[in-house]
Amino acid sequence: MSLAPAVTILFWLAVSTLAVGLARRARLWRVGQAAPVEWAGLLAVPKRYFVDVHHVVARDPYIARAHVATAGGAVLALGLVAFNYGLGIYLPVLDWGIVGAAIAMLGGVYFVWKRRRQPPQRLSRGAWDRLPYTLAAFAIGLLLLVGLPAEALSAAIAAIALVFLLVGSAELALGIGIGAPMKHAVAGLLHLAFHPRPERFEGLRSTALKPLSLDRQEFGVTIPADFRWNQLLSFDACVQCGKCEQSCPAFAAGQPLNPKKLIQDLVCGLAGTTDAAYAGRPYPGIAIGSHQGAPHDAIVPKLIEPQTLWSCTTCRACVEECPMLIEHVDAIVGIRRSLNLTQGDVPGTAPDILANLRETETQGGYDNARRYDWAIDLDVPTAEAGKPIDLLLIAGEGAFEMRYQQTLRALVRILKAAKADFAVLGACERDIGDTARRLGDEATFQSLARQNIETLARLDFKRIVTPDPHVLHSLRNEYSAFGGRYEVVHHTALIDELMVAGKVPFGKLPDARTLTYHDPCYLGRYNGEFGAPRAVLGRLGVGVREMERSGLRARCCGGGGGAPLTDIPGKQRIPDMRMGDAQAVGAEIVAVACPQCTAMLEGVAGARAQVLDIAELVALSLEARP
Amino acid sequence: MAAYPHIFTPIKLNQLTLPNRIYSTAHAEVYADAGGMPGDRYIRYYEEKAKGGLGMAICGGSSPVSIDVPQGSWKPVNLTTDRVIEPMARLAETVHRHGMKIMIQATHMGRRSAYAGDPWPHLVSPSGVREFVHRGNAKAIEIEDIRRIIGDFAAAARRVKASGFDGIEISAAHQQLIDQFWSPRTNMRTDEWGGSLANRMRFGIEVLQAVRGIVGRDYCVGIRMCADEFHDDGLDHETLKEIAQAMSETGLIDFISVIGSGADTHNTLANCMPPMALPPEPFVHLAAGIKSVVDVPILHAQGIRDITQAERILANGMVDIVGMTRAHIADPYIMNKVREGREDQIRQCVGANYCIDRMYSGSDTLCVQNAATSREATMPHVIAPTKGTKRRVVVVGAGPAGLEAARVSRSRGHDVVLFERNNAVGGQINLAAKAPQREQMAGIVRWFDMETKRLGIDRRLGVEATTDIILGEDPDVVIMATGGRSFVDQVAGWGAAEGVSVSSWDILSEKVPPAENVLVYDGIGAHAGFGTADFLASRGCTVEIVTPDVKVGDDVGGTTFPIFYRRLYAQGIIPTPNFWLDRVYAEGNKKIAVLRNEYTDELEERAVDQVVIENGITPNAELYWSLKEKSLNHGQTNLNALYANEPQPALREPTEGNRFVLFRVGDCVSMHNIHAAIYDSLRLCKDF
Repeated sequence: MSLAPAVTILFWLAVSTLAVGLARRARLWRVGQAAPVEWAGLLAVPKRYFVDVHHVVARDPYIARAHVATAGGAVLALGLVAFNYGLGIYLPVLDWGIVGAAIAMLGGVYFVWKRRRQPPQRLSRGAWDRLPYTLAAFAIGLLLLVGLPAEALSAAIAAIALVFLLVGSAELALGIGIGAPMKHAVAGLLHLAFHPRPERFEGLRSTALKPLSLDRQEFGVTIPADFRWNQLLSFDACVQCGKCEQSCPAFAAGQPLNPKKLIQDLVCGLAGTTDAAYAGRPYPGIAIGSHQGAPHDAIVPKLIEPQTLWSCTTCRACVEECPMLIEHVDAIVGIRRSLNLTQGDVPGTAPDILANLRETETQGGYDNARRYDWAIDLDVPTAEAGKPIDLLLIAGEGAFEMRYQQTLRALVRILKAAKADFAVLGACERDIGDTARRLGDEATFQSLARQNIETLARLDFKRIVTPDPHVLHSLRNEYSAFGGRYEVVHHTALIDELMVAGKVPFGKLPDARTLTYHDPCYLGRYNGEFGAPRAVLGRLGVGVREMERSGLRARCCGGGGGAPLTDIPGKQRIPDMRMGDAQAVGAEIVAVACPQCTAMLEGVAGARAQVLDIAELVALSLEARP
Repeated sequence: MAAYPHIFTPIKLNQLTLPNRIYSTAHAEVYADAGGMPGDRYIRYYEEKAKGGLGMAICGGSSPVSIDVPQGSWKPVNLTTDRVIEPMARLAETVHRHGMKIMIQATHMGRRSAYAGDPWPHLVSPSGVREFVHRGNAKAIEIEDIRRIIGDFAAAARRVKASGFDGIEISAAHQQLIDQFWSPRTNMRTDEWGGSLANRMRFGIEVLQAVRGIVGRDYCVGIRMCADEFHDDGLDHETLKEIAQAMSETGLIDFISVIGSGADTHNTLANCMPPMALPPEPFVHLAAGIKSVVDVPILHAQGIRDITQAERILANGMVDIVGMTRAHIADPYIMNKVREGREDQIRQCVGANYCIDRMYSGSDTLCVQNAATSREATMPHVIAPTKGTKRRVVVVGAGPAGLEAARVSRSRGHDVVLFERNNAVGGQINLAAKAPQREQMAGIVRWFDMETKRLGIDRRLGVEATTDIILGEDPDVVIMATGGRSFVDQVAGWGAAEGVSVSSWDILSEKVPPAENVLVYDGIGAHAGFGTADFLASRGCTVEIVTPDVKVGDDVGGTTFPIFYRRLYAQGIIPTPNFWLDRVYAEGNKKIAVLRNEYTDELEERAVDQVVIENGITPNAELYWSLKEKSLNHGQTNLNALYANEPQPALREPTEGNRFVLFRVGDCVSMHNIHAAIYDSLRLCKDF
């Protein structure tokens, strides 16, 4: 008796189940807001899957290989089954292909199973624990039914094989409809097609927040249905691998944020369920089971507590680590916007800072005219309309801090030594708006941005240089949405360029202490600049002893996203952990390249490495020059 | 900026913008080259302040505009000749390179000089009244002199501007010619230059008009004036407020620098640079009083030695710019250290007034605790690590010489072990700080204590070093800084060995309790003798202080002895100068002190309960002698190299194994003072 027809029936049954499930799930996604969608993205899925996704997954070679075998085997097997059995062709030679694919799949599943015997804590358990078994059942069922000659199958074996295949197929086909683990395969592929930041697949670092249209009464995300539909889809792609959780500085500090749980809670909000079935680690300090959501119910506080949202430093470590390319930070800022713009509910000193920004255009409530006080004895020109210059130096809020003025003064010394043609923006500089924007105060950000753009339009410069990566990010990536387009260069990149051109009379750094470099999130992950700071240090004759988390995977200092202002308590402080990272490699100097990092890392109490900006180190080498 | 919002708020004086609110006031440096030209030493002294981040300095305290002012004693800048323009331009250009602004004080001293020196002038003063402090005999000024001097002010201002200086301060303080016209104490004229306040102000206003006429509207011109002369027949605060208001209303000036106290008696002079005995910022209220009636910014110094104190005074709105002059003599890098959050590393002025007391005895200004000041050509303020051999340096003794030797050696990058047999560092300074109102001497130790800890010196406190212990450290260099001990056994007849007399050390260290009726014999004339007498008197003793010097505290300087005398008379201490102590013997429960008059040889006796002897120190040199022959250089410092500021030749010898070089610094060679001890170590240790 041939069981081929049974396979065919089973196949179409599964396909229909999948289709119905997908339709149900799509109905949930469609409560979201409209989003511009390129249908051509569907065609790009194979490349995005095999290149972009695996670029991330490959960082964990063990699971990458296991996934290639499992998923590759499954896809190949399903493809061949669809052709050979779905269309009723029944070519025996194709069965060998199916057998091969099933064996590959079984091999992959074996390694998944092995890892799951003692899984890393970041992995969710629950339904995910059964996956090796159900997928193995699928592979074994297929192997037996297709691989063994019909005459070799006893009724009992055939029945067992059919049950195995049925169980396996149910896992694959039902996932999307009932929100089970295999949902990730369907949602994940669709997410790749309709990703909210398709530029990411073109090798670009797409990190700019999307503006709200305040005129059209867009005030951020209050209910899950306020997300755009493809964002809702993206949450469904989550595989709960916990790479985000592992990389999240707030989670490590014991603050009540876990990016994985946040995405899962948003899935609950989408599906109208509770988080009772969630089998991963909680938000530190907040119990699982009490969270409940629905597409049209407010997210805060029943689904997600506000302190979870305000713990985020917007460092994008989670986004960088996510193999499913989910955009956690966009989600968090989206909800923050609603909290800020519709309720004015922001914790800590953030409301004061935002009020300062509205009233004084500085975060500290300073007089804008005093922003360049630190430069008075350095004889620095101020940019004027009608006076062309090469470089416009924008100092940012750090200009008001005595500590950071040291860095700015060092930078000016370098620019002067290099005989650069530069001027500072002077009293007409307003805060660039980064902090307001990350805190969700889009209105203040847009107001500041428009005024700064107006100011800059009056001046005649070729490039902007700033030592503040937050200023750099806003000017380079976020002002363009409001018509401000500039060539912006970070001071480390400019120094590097001036050194290469032989314009900086630098020498060897007269300090032999062990040095490490801390990548600022907004320079590194946000803007892809990892090379220039290291190149500059190299030219000073300094060997950088890299910390375990550096470059693309650098740990945040804790200073981004207004987190020092919202100041959500945890078990330890993020900058303390970061200085611990530096200590672990024996660093006596931590080179930095950002005013926030300087302030956060210098705020670490007790014996610790010295924190010096790259500009300060270069200035030291100027003085040391024979 | 969060910590010092007011200090780091720039301010405009006319067209000039100062980067911060701290400046160094005009003071008599005594550094100018022959002929009153600012030379290398002068320029380097100000360049160091500029490097240190100071916003502005006004140099050239009492720089005369006229040729009838003698310049020998305080070596000011000679503003009477065009020859000064070129060196002043060099000074201005040098400090401008570091972003500092610079002005100069210009004055005519009137009677405030001594005629007995080049050019042997007949001094001028409104009414020819003699000045006490300088023995300033003067004639009544004539109209021709007035016209000449007004012209001289204008010519000087022209030279200042031509040299690229940022401004000029006209002195009407310390009872120089302009305020000699103001003060009823010195102006008894009945013509249009005397009588009414308007007449008395005429000369000063005409000077300012002439100056402004030469330099133009946009150049910074200010005056320095007193806010209360503290003389019953002088100018009081209310009158000086009237004068300040009138000066401000002329529109001729861009700032007023205010000081408290007149200066034509020894006692008032001591207020001008308030020594440690005075409270902090003793006269800031007077400056604030002037500020209340004028429209121009007020500058004020006097006893503001701490940066947070300056910030508070500015925050309270009492003055607009704070002068920290002695503070910058002690540490020209204050502003950089503040900017960099290194306040703990500031070497804070303690108000010992070694600087100004030297000036009043005709010597150059030096700092009691910073031997690099004004020696910038040869002595570094910032010690650079050595490029040569790293050595193991053992310093014995943590008094000022040993502390400086350890600090400098460690800053050079050497391994330094510092032995001190007491449980605290500081040596004799700890004793000096026991005297009443001399407690701030301890500030010198505090800084060294913090620095030697910060630098990571291996400090072995409470350990009495021996030859074995020292050699056990396997040193390359041993620096002996073991100081001395009270030298009461110089004269056997004093009976110190028998306990008939005790030492000043016994009293100050409270080893021996004070008796009721005490004779203090001071064979030295420095701070310790009177300090011991004061210590006893302030504990209720009846005290007579005997010294062979011409007066009590003869060797303490012009701003210190008045403080001593205030306390001497207030407490009824009996001063007996011109007597030697020949011997002391016990009679019953009394001690009999036999005194001999220096000039008549007549003997006198005193029956007292206690005889306390201050006779300086004799070196603790035993350890030195025990190591001398073991050392490569027999303990000898090569003087040619030392005085030429060159490295010691002995350091070229290899020092592995048991070989080491031995040097001796400070009091364990012969009795010196704190400055000398520190200088001994700095000049020796800067080179290895």
